[in-house]
Amino acid sequence: MNLYRICYKKVGPMRYISHLDLLRTMERGSRRARLPLAFTQGFNPHPRISFAAPLPVGVQGEDEYMDLELESPMQAPVLVERLNTCLPYGLEILEAREVKGTAPSLMGMVEQATYVAVTIRPADINEKSLISSIKAFMEQQEVIIDKKTKKGTKAKDIRPGIVKLSGDSKEDRLFIYMTLKTGSRENVRPEEVLRALVKGYLPLNVEDFRITRTGLYAAGERTLFAGF
Amino acid sequence: MEQLLERILATVEKPSRYVGGEWNSISKKWDQAEVKMAFAFPDVYEVGMSHLGMQILYKVVNDRPDALMERVFAPWVDMEEKMRAAGLPLFSLESRRSLAEFDVVGFTLQYEMSFTNILNMLDMAGIPMRSSDRKGDNPLVIAGGPCGFNPEPLAPFIDAFVLGEGEEVINAVLDVYLAQKQQQCSRRDTLSALAGVEGIYVPVFYQFEYKQDGTVKEFKSDSLVPTVVKKRVVADVNDVPFPTRPIVPHTDVVHDRMMLEVMRGCTRGCRFCQAGTIYRPVREKDPENLLAQAEELVRSTGWDEISLTSLSSSDYSGISEVISGLVDRHSSERINVALPSLRADAFSVELAKEVQRVRRSSLTFAPEAGTQRLRDVINKGVTEENLMEAVTSAFKAGWSSVKLYFMIGLPSETESDLEGIVSLARRVLEAGRNISRSKGRLRVTVSASSFVPKSHTPFQWEPQDSLIELQEKQRFLKQRIKGKGLTFNWHEGQVSMLEADLARGNRDLAPVLERAWALGCRFDGWSECFDFSKWEKAFECFGIKPGDYALRRYSHEDVLPWDHLDAGVSKKYLALEHKRALDGVPTVDCRGGKCPGCGICPSLEINTQLVGGKSVEPVQDLL
Ligand code: SF4
Repeated sequence: MNLYRICYKKVGPMRYISHLDLLRTMERGSRRARLPLAFTQGFNPHPRISFAAPLPVGVQGEDEYMDLELESPMQAPVLVERLNTCLPYGLEILEAREVKGTAPSLMGMVEQATYVAVTIRPADINEKSLISSIKAFMEQQEVIIDKKTKKGTKAKDIRPGIVKLSGDSKEDRLFIYMTLKTGSRENVRPEEVLRALVKGYLPLNVEDFRITRTGLYAAGERTLFAGF
Repeated sequence: MEQLLERILATVEKPSRYVGGEWNSISKKWDQAEVKMAFAFPDVYEVGMSHLGMQILYKVVNDRPDALMERVFAPWVDMEEKMRAAGLPLFSLESRRSLAEFDVVGFTLQYEMSFTNILNMLDMAGIPMRSSDRKGDNPLVIAGGPCGFNPEPLAPFIDAFVLGEGEEVINAVLDVYLAQKQQQCSRRDTLSALAGVEGIYVPVFYQFEYKQDGTVKEFKSDSLVPTVVKKRVVADVNDVPFPTRPIVPHTDVVHDRMMLEVMRGCTRGCRFCQAGTIYRPVREKDPENLLAQAEELVRSTGWDEISLTSLSSSDYSGISEVISGLVDRHSSERINVALPSLRADAFSVELAKEVQRVRRSSLTFAPEAGTQRLRDVINKGVTEENLMEAVTSAFKAGWSSVKLYFMIGLPSETESDLEGIVSLARRVLEAGRNISRSKGRLRVTVSASSFVPKSHTPFQWEPQDSLIELQEKQRFLKQRIKGKGLTFNWHEGQVSMLEADLARGNRDLAPVLERAWALGCRFDGWSECFDFSKWEKAFECFGIKPGDYALRRYSHEDVLPWDHLDAGVSKKYLALEHKRALDGVPTVDCRGGKCPGCGICPSLEINTQLVGGKSVEPVQDLL
């Protein structure tokens, strides 16, 4: 088994493609790069590629992870170079490391993520008022949102999933930084936080924010390259 | 614009439809191209990106150093609403410029029910909808594709139509445009220069007066243009530029795979089929050429499936050779081969067995009619024995699901033909019960579409069944094709009726189209958007009803609204075929070596081309 853990970026036009589209695009990129892909067994073999945590459509990712398995070994830097020449604009491999022995699955490892959301600062909000709004927001015991499920909507408290929230302002821009629980155990999406924040605390439009995921972490804020 | 657009993209369904940037897409420098053309597909991205013709023209135009081509698709209703609210014009995917900034805008006419989308796209770009209202700096609006063989309902909106295969004509159009631009000619002069190009129909130079029944009373054409415009086809399909670096969409499109075109045209001569006429004569590509192109496609796209496309791929003479070549070369990379259209016989199932090691999807056959009598009427050369052999070997090989396509409302159809559909479906199911190992998953799906008479076919004179008749026939089948293992699907009769109105209509339908659009008709081929009451209203405004054109019987002596558009086939031959149909007399397939004399080869001065340099001697003048 030749397993590689890969860190990549999904930005620009690529932020609009869904998680399923990303899987397809990575598979096709790997085929164009003529990587010796390893396939699953069974009736309908597909390449062994798995991801850490799906990005919501519209959100960019600067520090994303996937595992890729090859049939024969390859130098990690060669893999990075070959794949990068075959990926569309907006997808870029930053680093690949060969996994020696075994590594815990990415899905199981991810615990939290950091995000930054940027928007144009309206005249009636300054850094001070922003910080005090965030403070007031974080002082709530619970933050209930309506979550759409297959059968109607369900109330959900996202407060326990918000690890950190802060903000500042540079020139005409306003920035909100979030550290949120992410993964299979607890998962809060950045636009859920923004939606709750703009309701009563910060009079802004959620659609006007450009959101970027800046990091994905395992328990104890360790990087996903840790542990092997 | 960028910022507004981003805001909108954050809120619409499937935003990747509108962002471009796909692998192999081409973004040329805007200012360096002397002529800028937009390929406009009047349906959503997922449908448009599955169209091989677009990929071909995209290559042909972008291969020219002096030209560029970008793509634009119809925005889905949510996107349209938001773009209009924000004041954003319809834009191209590559450079995000308004459609109005292009020199040439080319629409493809694949389906009558996308005509309102064409009007809507022009409107969303701020391009005057009627050709007569366009000024010097408005784009030249052209259109081509199968519906271009009777484009009369669209005549006032389109500056020029392309008849036949676009890859040659498009270069001529761009050359004319460039020459006219250099000489600073008027719009009218450009149009008359275009009218001089073989295969181009400029409707403004042709005037019509119609009789009460919709046929032509008087027809005048400008002295400088040809009275009849003949279709154009490429002489040698091996020479044709084939897109071996097609755009690979990110998102799941209808045909998400490599398309390897094995031939053009079909020799079978089914009497309802317009494609069978307009793409003739058959021209097959060389197997070696196909294998080389497949190799390039595999390397440049990363797709994992190759689809052998054409109107009837199991008829292609080199089919076995190409399939085994592809399997030899590419199966180790886990690349599948797919055959989209199967003939209903054992040979075709053998081919399918060879390429599909895993029998995951169902097999589809199209007997089209339920009895031998009616199959003889439509010249569908498939017998019940052929079909039973085909499904038997499919069930033996492990498929458990079979789809059967039929058409209802065909000329001369009676209740016994409908009963024939029912008993055929039951026989197929019965065969499955006897043979299939996975009886639990056994499924026979019967799909019934409604016959739509089309121009340039032997049935062009025939009326469509009335809505009530069609609905009764659907009910008849629905009541009988049910129970364990049987599924029945049908098409909305109202859509088929409007499709027939537009397919056989004349210029009097143009204002109806315009009104339907104004009333909000869009995406009429999508059941979630189709609103028949709006169409009824639009027709009513002009004193006619939906179905007025569909239900009309034309006579052989009539001048038809499309008689000035020549697909190569002789009208006498079509009339003879029509008569043979009603007598139940079949016509031979010219692939067998004997030409029944459709007239296309002599008229276009191109002969049928089969693998290995074989051909068919055409009958010069049968009649
Ligand atoms: S002219 Fe004869 S050989 Fe040519 S396409 Fe027609 S029927 Fe076939």
